[in-house]
Amino acid sequence: MVAVLAVCALMTIGITIGIVVMLIGQSWNFFQSEHVSVGDFLTGTHWTALQSRELDNAEFGIWPLLSGTFRVTIIAMVIALPCGLVTAVYLSEFSSSRVRSILKPTLEVIAGIPTVVLGYFAILVISPGLQLFTGGAFDTFNATSAGIAVGILCLPMVCSLSEDALHAVPRALREGAYGLGCTPFETSMKVVVPAALSGIISAFLLAFSRAIGETMVVALAAGTRATFTFDPREQSQTMTGFIVEMIKSESEYGTVQYFSLYAVAITLFVITFAMTLLGQMIRRRYQESYD
Amino acid sequence: MSSVPTAAGDLSMEPAPGSLRGSAAPPPIELQAASDNSRRRKLYSRLFYILCVLISLLSVVVLAVLLASITIQGQGMLTWQLLTGSHSELYPESSGMWPSIIGSIAICGICALSALPLGIGTAIFLEEFKPKSKPLRMLHGFIQLNIANLAGVPSIVYGLLGLSLFVFMFNVFGQIQVNESAGLELMGVKRYYQVLTLAGDGHTVLIPQDDDAEPTIQIDQPVIAVDDQGNEFELSLWEIGTPRPTDPAEKRMTVRKGAIGGSYARTNWSYFRLPFGRSFLAAGLTLALVILPIVIIASQESLRSVPPSLREASFGLGATVWQTVRNVSLPAALPGILTGSILAMGRAIGEAAPVLVVLGATVAKNSGPQNMMDNVVTMPVLIFNWAGRQQATYQELAAAAIIVLLVVLLLMNSAAIYLRQRMRIEA
Repeated sequence: MVAVLAVCALMTIGITIGIVVMLIGQSWNFFQSEHVSVGDFLTGTHWTALQSRELDNAEFGIWPLLSGTFRVTIIAMVIALPCGLVTAVYLSEFSSSRVRSILKPTLEVIAGIPTVVLGYFAILVISPGLQLFTGGAFDTFNATSAGIAVGILCLPMVCSLSEDALHAVPRALREGAYGLGCTPFETSMKVVVPAALSGIISAFLLAFSRAIGETMVVALAAGTRATFTFDPREQSQTMTGFIVEMIKSESEYGTVQYFSLYAVAITLFVITFAMTLLGQMIRRRYQESYD
Repeated sequence: MSSVPTAAGDLSMEPAPGSLRGSAAPPPIELQAASDNSRRRKLYSRLFYILCVLISLLSVVVLAVLLASITIQGQGMLTWQLLTGSHSELYPESSGMWPSIIGSIAICGICALSALPLGIGTAIFLEEFKPKSKPLRMLHGFIQLNIANLAGVPSIVYGLLGLSLFVFMFNVFGQIQVNESAGLELMGVKRYYQVLTLAGDGHTVLIPQDDDAEPTIQIDQPVIAVDDQGNEFELSLWEIGTPRPTDPAEKRMTVRKGAIGGSYARTNWSYFRLPFGRSFLAAGLTLALVILPIVIIASQESLRSVPPSLREASFGLGATVWQTVRNVSLPAALPGILTGSILAMGRAIGEAAPVLVVLGATVAKNSGPQNMMDNVVTMPVLIFNWAGRQQATYQELAAAAIIVLLVVLLLMNSAAIYLRQRMRIEA
């Protein structure tokens, strides 16, 4: 019986190996083509895998997709990190139990909303709202509206992970600070938050990796043109958005264009895996222990 | 912790130094400065508190706006037709989501059947069977780290894994592309040749196929055939030049001599083959990969929260590790495990990206799955498809479908809360 359970546990390692083998095996088909080289892939600034039927016209440079991903992610983080942290501080330091009983379920509900719903919200409300406020300076599909929606999606995650970290800070530290005459602001921002910093940073990294891998919101709201700019008002196809478009296009299995999606996927996997790993390591290594 | 701030508020509101001396003598300059300073600090604290409240309110406002906007957009389409109809390109107004509801249920069933035993088993192994030797402890830590990492892998990558692992099975059983009946078919399928009879209107009879490799048959001598009801009869032949039979019943049992029949596979519900192809089985297993880390982590947490004294008491009574798990830890942790599992299933029902990758983006399906290898549509994929269209009708349909999806999620979450409450009372 124990052996069966052990097999279950080892299966999880098998999944990781499966992902790595699958990604390397399939993207090998892509890099083997004489039309592409790893150097061009990593440095090129044009990505036309979907637009060009002919292989000769197709250009495979990952940077437009990367810049699209980072534009969306940075906007999302600008929203999710401060708001999430402040909400966590409020929940753990100030809120009465009545406010808490409203706020916590609200955040849980937001965390449970399917991402495709948030994508729809982005094209239904956020994007027209942006156009209204700026007099039409934004594209219909743009990085900002997708970024805001992804930010809403990451907020509960940042908040609950940070709150856990803040909760782990012992009461004695707070009482010490108050005893020295600190105001609640100083206590929370100069004593409690620094004491929980490792947990908070790890929460930030996990949220970052979640935002990079977010798919349905960007597939609906960020547009389908891969652009290499820093302008958040433009369309911006992200890595995940490209994968979805490629799958949707029902492109023929076996073409170089089709296999390019695995090259994009391996880039995505490496980035998110590194982020998550770093987040986990920080949490384990620098966890302050007050026992 | 909520009691700390009020106590702290009292502490930090110690009277300013200046006021202690009364107003008899003007306070010395540095004390005046100190008083200004503390006033400023209190102001900051006040402002920070207001900022906290405002930002926290923001999430409530966002949720309210989201629900309100979707309700307003979708209420017009929230009809019985939406629940019972199926997607229609020609008449968007009469489109519905019945096949997608069935599809979601089917996929989530597969997902629950595979992910929950695996996930809970892994959690029990990791929490209850802590190894003692050093290399095994390292392996234990490695599995733990690996699970945390799996939880961070984007769901679309799992979709690609599912595509290779379940849909194509790394092409071990031959490449599946267009041919529906490729691969290694194990059960639930019967092969026939389909031959046109003299009855006309495309009426055909089926002739059982003996040799799988032969794609067509030419009828030269009378053979045993099967009619629509599955009754066997001997097929009669009609040669060109001889008089045609006139009786309709006879016509239906007669074919032209030399007629050529193509291969036809009839499948029943148990049709099973390797690889799985774009089937709901493959999609369900892929979703199981997505939620497996969530199930493991939730189950581990709830096993960890069982007080160690319970286990120690059980060991003290002479129970083995396994008996302790079965009789003590697992029952005590069950409410938490169930809640975590239901929340994970909620995630699975709303997940679109992996299903989209595995099953493709087609939504034109007007029934649930007919056999285990059948393609399905799920609610999130349908919503994605409708939301991506320009026509206003589809936009409203998407909002209405979202309301249905959210109601389903709400029901599941209420079930989770109800179960948790009931089990707490019983325990």
